[in-house]
Amino acid sequence: MLRFIVWRLAQNVVVFFLFLTVVFFLFQAMPGDYTKQFIMNPKIPPEAREALAERLGLSGTVWDQYIHYIRNVFTGNLGVSFEHYPREVWDIVAERLPRTAVLFFTATLVAFSWGFPLGKYIAWKRGSVGDYAATVTGVLFYTIFTPLLAIILLFVFANQLGWFRSGGFLSPRFWIRAPVSPQTVFLMLIATMLGLIGWWATGRLVTRRIGHPRPRKLALRTFTTLGIAAAVGGWYTSGLGPYAGDIVWHMVLPLLELTLISFGGTMLLMRDSMLEVVREDYITTARAKGLPDKIVRDKHAARTALLPVVTSFVLSIGFVLSGGIITETMFSWKGLGLTYLQATLSQDYPLAMGCLIFTGVLALMAHLVADVLYAVLDPRISY
Amino acid sequence: MTDRTTYKFEPLWKIRLRLFVRSFRKNWGLFWESRIGPLGLFIILGFVLFMAAHPILMSTVWDPRVYDPIMGFDPKLVGQHPAPPSWAHPLGTDPIGRDILSQLMWSTRSEFALGITSAVITVTIGTLIGSICAYFGGLIDMFFMRLADLVMLFPFIALLIVMQSIIPMDLLKLALIMGGLGGFGSITIVLKSQALTVKVKPYIEAAKVAGGGSFHIIRNHIIPNILPISFLYMMFNVTSAIFSEAALSFFGLLDIRMSWGIMLNTAQDAGYLGAFGYYWWLWAPPGAAITLLCFAFYLVGRGLDEIVNPRLRKR
Amino acid sequence: MALLDVSHLTMHYTTKMGDVHAVDDVSFKVDVGQALGLVGESGCGKTSVAMSLMKLLPDNARILAGKIVFEGLDLVPLPEEKVRKIRWKGISMVFQAAMNSLNPVYRVGDQIIEAIQQHLPLSIEEARAKVAKLYTLVEMDPKLMDRYPHEYSGGMKQRAIIAMALACDPKLIIADEPTTALDVIVQDRILHRIDEIRKELNMAMMYISHDIAVIAEVSDVIGVMYAGRLVEFADTVTIFKRPVHPYTIALMSAFPSIKGEKRPLVHLPGEPPDLLNPPQGCRFHPRCQYATTICREQVPPYQELESGHYVACWNPQREGGANARA
Repeated sequence: MLRFIVWRLAQNVVVFFLFLTVVFFLFQAMPGDYTKQFIMNPKIPPEAREALAERLGLSGTVWDQYIHYIRNVFTGNLGVSFEHYPREVWDIVAERLPRTAVLFFTATLVAFSWGFPLGKYIAWKRGSVGDYAATVTGVLFYTIFTPLLAIILLFVFANQLGWFRSGGFLSPRFWIRAPVSPQTVFLMLIATMLGLIGWWATGRLVTRRIGHPRPRKLALRTFTTLGIAAAVGGWYTSGLGPYAGDIVWHMVLPLLELTLISFGGTMLLMRDSMLEVVREDYITTARAKGLPDKIVRDKHAARTALLPVVTSFVLSIGFVLSGGIITETMFSWKGLGLTYLQATLSQDYPLAMGCLIFTGVLALMAHLVADVLYAVLDPRISY
Repeated sequence: MTDRTTYKFEPLWKIRLRLFVRSFRKNWGLFWESRIGPLGLFIILGFVLFMAAHPILMSTVWDPRVYDPIMGFDPKLVGQHPAPPSWAHPLGTDPIGRDILSQLMWSTRSEFALGITSAVITVTIGTLIGSICAYFGGLIDMFFMRLADLVMLFPFIALLIVMQSIIPMDLLKLALIMGGLGGFGSITIVLKSQALTVKVKPYIEAAKVAGGGSFHIIRNHIIPNILPISFLYMMFNVTSAIFSEAALSFFGLLDIRMSWGIMLNTAQDAGYLGAFGYYWWLWAPPGAAITLLCFAFYLVGRGLDEIVNPRLRKR
Repeated sequence: MALLDVSHLTMHYTTKMGDVHAVDDVSFKVDVGQALGLVGESGCGKTSVAMSLMKLLPDNARILAGKIVFEGLDLVPLPEEKVRKIRWKGISMVFQAAMNSLNPVYRVGDQIIEAIQQHLPLSIEEARAKVAKLYTLVEMDPKLMDRYPHEYSGGMKQRAIIAMALACDPKLIIADEPTTALDVIVQDRILHRIDEIRKELNMAMMYISHDIAVIAEVSDVIGVMYAGRLVEFADTVTIFKRPVHPYTIALMSAFPSIKGEKRPLVHLPGEPPDLLNPPQGCRFHPRCQYATTICREQVPPYQELESGHYVACWNPQREGGANARA
């Protein structure tokens, strides 16, 4: 196994390097460069444009730029963004990435927590009307044209019902007198969420010792509620509550869109996986042993059926960027996806490459982790 | 006991035809039973009729100068464009005076063409590469798997911008690019694992023992056995091809003349999307059309899944 | 009172193409500690009978008639909840092709413990001790209990399955082709071991096999099934020495005797009938050399010919027919 991981890592490095090279030259192949957007502007004389090009390092030959760039990347210097000059690319990515990550992970988690039980349940009742309806709905959510869903959500919730804002990360007017920056609040928000998840996980471990299911569930629920209460209380007393609330308020709609789409996919995948497992002999054996139906379904069937779903989730981490682009654009949510799109279109290639580098590493590692995870979860597989 | 001395010989093609018809009938029965497959097929047929209606309408009821999807303009409603639905324009007109229904119908043809072409190319490449990787393994396998990783990471948008600057883009070229790029991507991984399950079957070994060369085995044994799954994935690929084109057009990244995505883009550029309910005929019809066609192909794919994957069958 | 009393059991599968008459009017008894061997060709309904006994039938199968009385309780009308309690503790089963009967993601020992804890009020430690004892009983190292199924060989898996079947001290074990997937030597060992265990624990057993040699070795009584019907039933010696149903006779004549007399092997022409459309009358008549008019028209009743010897035939061949064995 270790040999496998090491060998794969080596391959990943090579692939990454190739990737960098190909993409770099691809960006260079785009007609013009960053300064071309100023061509049409009569107020900017050609000399100024050339000076800008010089400063941005765009005036050397392509090969020079390439060597320069590669050397920088391998020392951890991702360059400076043209558009957001003189902010460093690292800085921008670090700021935008958590936003995209939060959307992605929350959406996937919620989608999973709905999709998994639903998929499991309808696969068990295969052929029923419920199965048919759920499958069709799942496919509909999965294939709906994302911008259309965004428009519908905006129309219904923001426009008609007025419950949510129609876009953006926060309401600027609200933040005029804020004592801390939105980024800080956002990071605190993430910390709270992670803390709550950790709290819940600890709760599960601690209550596992309780033998009987009903008091165990009760204990876990109380534990979790206490945690949530503490978190809310903390926010309230710090006075930053309303600011966090503003951010969360803006997050709801993009989150809803991603969740709905993801839910369709997860449910369908779970259903398919379960149907494959249900045919196996060990399910019949489990029934023959006199185990209750629910246990057969959950402990035996679902456990094995989970494998493809988990690996698909891990793999999808690599697509955090491309998956988010449409949603982030529709809701003007300034995450990494939107940043990447804008960077590409304005030929801010350090920033664009920075985003791509990030996703590249993430995707390659995710693929490796998924393969390893599969071996861990299924004792039959080993490398 | 049958008398084995009177055996009637039939030509081989007749036998093959009979077998084909028989298995087709059986599979059709299974497809029908899935209930979602026929639903998808029904919707696709609806679109086909929709598509076929356009030239008929254009040559009979509709005046080309008014109803042409790209160049048309209705002078009677000057100043009211985008006009709401009326008898003359069942789905209204767009901001520059063209009939929406006509645009919708006309684009159907290119959507089909794009989707199917792209999907066929992707699946063909994926099947070939997947089979080769599965059969040979080793370095060849490693090469293509890493290539797939690379392709999946590839910045498609950047590529598109570059391509558009070199050659004028139309849907056919887009289909070729999407097809080619997709073919080396994740579908190869999926089809490879399918090909692997075929490779370990006893008849492959039997074929080798009988003296079959590598390419013979790949062509005559492995590929035919994964073709049903390839066909299945083709359906899903049509969905993603149509979706991708629509998304790219919508964001203005694609410079083609007319498609459902372009219709949405026109609406957005002219600033009408923000008004939602007031100008619904600008975004709802193309959005719904994209969704429905993708939905339909995906359903057909799932219906085929019931045939192809025997473990999913009911008894 | 017999441990298991099956009377007039009829079970059909509903398919797109019609009803498959898998089990028709089957009746037999099994006493405490007795070994019944159910023998017949593939598709004759043996496994269907077994699955019906445990009520593990798929959704499209229905028990249309009959009673399955186990320890005085009729299982047919019993609701699923109550049947669950009887499963494994009253009747347990060793499935055909046991290779896949173990869940690959859990340890083997844990799967047996799961069965134990479902029916017996034992703690984890006690259950583990019991599993260790069971492993020793089937001649396996108890330490193997913490391994995964894929780490076992075919023979080991079979033994593990048997250990699992014994886990809750059932009164009756149904063994469906318990040794088909094994090589002959292991087959012999395991078969005899099962028989020893059975006698030790005074358990009843129902062996299902198409291999008459296996059945002969371990059964006290034998039931011969053909096309969903029980055609003959008697103790082992009678079936071998004095079979009366033409099908049984053909079965007995179909393999060579190792002792002396060379004679041509009899083989039965034709094939078992399609159970979607079974033939009218006696289902064996198309292949039977003694068939008469009544055989073609009416179903022969299942009757006691002599004490403990039942047969369903209009024309039982008391002299063992034309190809009697000595």
